[in-house]
Amino acid sequence: MGLFILRRLLQGLLVVIGVTIVVFVATRLVGDPVRVMLPLSATAEERAEFQHQLGLDRPIPVQFVEFAQNLATLNFGDSLWQRRPAMGIVLAKLPNTLTLIACGLGVAILLALPLGAIAALKPGGLADRLTVFSGLFGLSVPQFWMGLLLIMVFAVIFRVLPTSGIGPPVHYILPAITLGLPSLARLMMLVRSTVIDELNQQYVRTARAKGLHFHQVLFGHALRNALPAFITLAGWEFISGLAGYTVVVETVFAWPGLGQAAMQAIQHNDLFLLQAIVFTVAILIVAVNIALDVAHKFIDPRVELG
Amino acid sequence: MNSMKNYLTVAALMAATAVAGSLSIGLAQAADISIAIGSEPSTLDPQLRDDGGERAINDNIYETLMARTADGILVPGLAAAAPTQIDATTWEFKLRPDVKFTDGEAFNADSVVRSVERIIDPAFKSEQGSYFGTIASASKVDDLTVHVVTKGPDPILPSRMYWMKMVPTTYSADANFATNPVGTGPYMMAAWDHGQDIILRRNPDYWGEAPSIDQVTYKFIGEPGTRLSSLVAGEVDLITNLLPEFVSSVPNSAAVPGLETSVIVLSTENPSTADVRVRTAMNLAIDRNALANDLFGGYGVPAKGQLVNPKAFGFNTALDVYPYDPAKAAALIKEAGAEGATVTIVGEAGRWLKDRETIEAVGAYWTAVGLKVDFKINEFGEYLNQLFDKAHRPDAIFVQNSDELLDADRPMTSAYESGASYASNNDQEMAKQVQAARVETDTVKRVAMYADITKKAYDGSYLVPLLNLEDIYGFSKRLEWQPRVDSKLLVKEMKAAD
Repeated sequence: MGLFILRRLLQGLLVVIGVTIVVFVATRLVGDPVRVMLPLSATAEERAEFQHQLGLDRPIPVQFVEFAQNLATLNFGDSLWQRRPAMGIVLAKLPNTLTLIACGLGVAILLALPLGAIAALKPGGLADRLTVFSGLFGLSVPQFWMGLLLIMVFAVIFRVLPTSGIGPPVHYILPAITLGLPSLARLMMLVRSTVIDELNQQYVRTARAKGLHFHQVLFGHALRNALPAFITLAGWEFISGLAGYTVVVETVFAWPGLGQAAMQAIQHNDLFLLQAIVFTVAILIVAVNIALDVAHKFIDPRVELG
Repeated sequence: MNSMKNYLTVAALMAATAVAGSLSIGLAQAADISIAIGSEPSTLDPQLRDDGGERAINDNIYETLMARTADGILVPGLAAAAPTQIDATTWEFKLRPDVKFTDGEAFNADSVVRSVERIIDPAFKSEQGSYFGTIASASKVDDLTVHVVTKGPDPILPSRMYWMKMVPTTYSADANFATNPVGTGPYMMAAWDHGQDIILRRNPDYWGEAPSIDQVTYKFIGEPGTRLSSLVAGEVDLITNLLPEFVSSVPNSAAVPGLETSVIVLSTENPSTADVRVRTAMNLAIDRNALANDLFGGYGVPAKGQLVNPKAFGFNTALDVYPYDPAKAAALIKEAGAEGATVTIVGEAGRWLKDRETIEAVGAYWTAVGLKVDFKINEFGEYLNQLFDKAHRPDAIFVQNSDELLDADRPMTSAYESGASYASNNDQEMAKQVQAARVETDTVKRVAMYADITKKAYDGSYLVPLLNLEDIYGFSKRLEWQPRVDSKLLVKEMKAAD
């Protein structure tokens, strides 16, 4: 097990370094950040002068050597847009995004298991139809629109929740629902179909025949067999949240997290901040993947790690 | 119907008050207001960045030697009077006595010298540097007299000093300066909760008239729909950049012609637009009143044949809006043998209000008079590449110019002076005229020079000026405020009813 984790960590390191290099090259291909930073009315000379002040007029290989040297000490340089260390900004914003994902995904996981199982008990029944319908709804509604709709209803018309911003726990409700809804839908549909499959297996009939109660079969066998797929998908939902889906929710709800920072870094052509964000997210994704593999080993002892 | 609506509003308000009490959403109190701005400032150092969020806050904390009235007229601010010229490159500023920064440091000649030297220092890497590129140095004469020396004659210097915020001599070197600003203005820093809000409170020792608002909270809401919701929900009292179509959904609103003018820059060299008859036709083909009314809901004014802002120094009052004359435009195009010729228009989408719609409408007008229009709507970065590409000028490129200094020089340098920024003409004589006007210190002569330039560009249709756009603000019923031409959100000019 220890060896496995070590090997995965080394592989992960390669991934992180690869991603960072790609971002370095890509952001420099996109164009010169100075165009966006100075007023449009600035003259060509003023732009060239400012580019020189920032050191962005040096050849890209020279910039890359400096970048690589700094990377060894986790120094990502100062954000062009914020004028303070890029990594500091990332570390300040990351907790806000992580708690938002935890709330949204946490509720989704807690609801998906019972709702999916109930729907699976009687395929085609009322509960099942409702589940499938609301699942499709959750998947098809764009998050952007969903967020604005929730704000309209709960903040503007009923005025029971704040429109946006971070603060006391009430501020988490709308963004967490908006973020968690598609995840809930996907997880719920997965539980439903896996449990339906399992309940149709021969062993279920055998188990029932030898006198096991239905709920014992359901919880002891069917749901348990659904777990590995469920955990894989939940992990994927977490990763996709980190790697981009929070951008929309954080923008709509003015949530000061990593997604919003990434959006602003792109708008400002802030190469250094963007590099720090991508590097951090890549590390988290690698870590989640390793954690998922280990979790599988615990749920299903037959799984060979290697 | 109306009483039903009132009843619902009262019910909603009561519910909101109850909820606010228990859940601390925090509705503003009597003399406290909240303002939604688009993004959180990255720093509150007033001299470092060129950023609207930072400006919205620091305009209340810091002051400048020169100020402007709500209508845009340049008046002394921290200066005791308008500056006088000692010689061609030296301006003398007399300072207002007995002004203090909120940390107790005196405002005097040393502060001015420090402010000037700090912002023009290349090592400081200020994004505002392009406003002050002409300044060479500043020196103290006595405690309340400063000489600002320019590299060459610079008639725009007084306007430039309206943009340069005055920082305290010693504290501006402090490590906390960027997060805990200290100025001479009517408001001072109270709290900055990163990611959430910034709170300013009234400066009790302010040298000027005491403002009526005690405390102001800035919230950072980038998404326009959410910003609108926060106003309607009563969480904030003022939002900026309200869309014309939402004016009817907010409790109260006001608009004022702002700093921005939309324009299309035509190439005088490219084959399809080299003929002045074609370029003139492209101006006559456009119904600017229809653009203002149908696209901007009336919140725009047809530009008077130039890119210079009507409130700016150097505005040519002799020019008028290009008339809408599609018949004459079609005839000119036929005469030039350009019927069916393809004109490429380059633009972007989403940076400025209704940019894509404006470009498409203009293209339709051009098509109607006999041209073929090829639209190139690019991502903003790629658009900027083309805007600043000296070697390949597009036939036509859309841009929205903001005239912060309210002086003709910036728009002239941007769109009229060949080779300087994004002008697409090759008129070297005009470039020399723009350069000469930049160093002409006789105001009467300078106005006359700008009149010549704008008239020549008007006759040659170097530009297709479109609309001078209005800034629309939404506010709560309790807020009283008259928006300013220079788009500044000065809280000292606001009042809030109980």
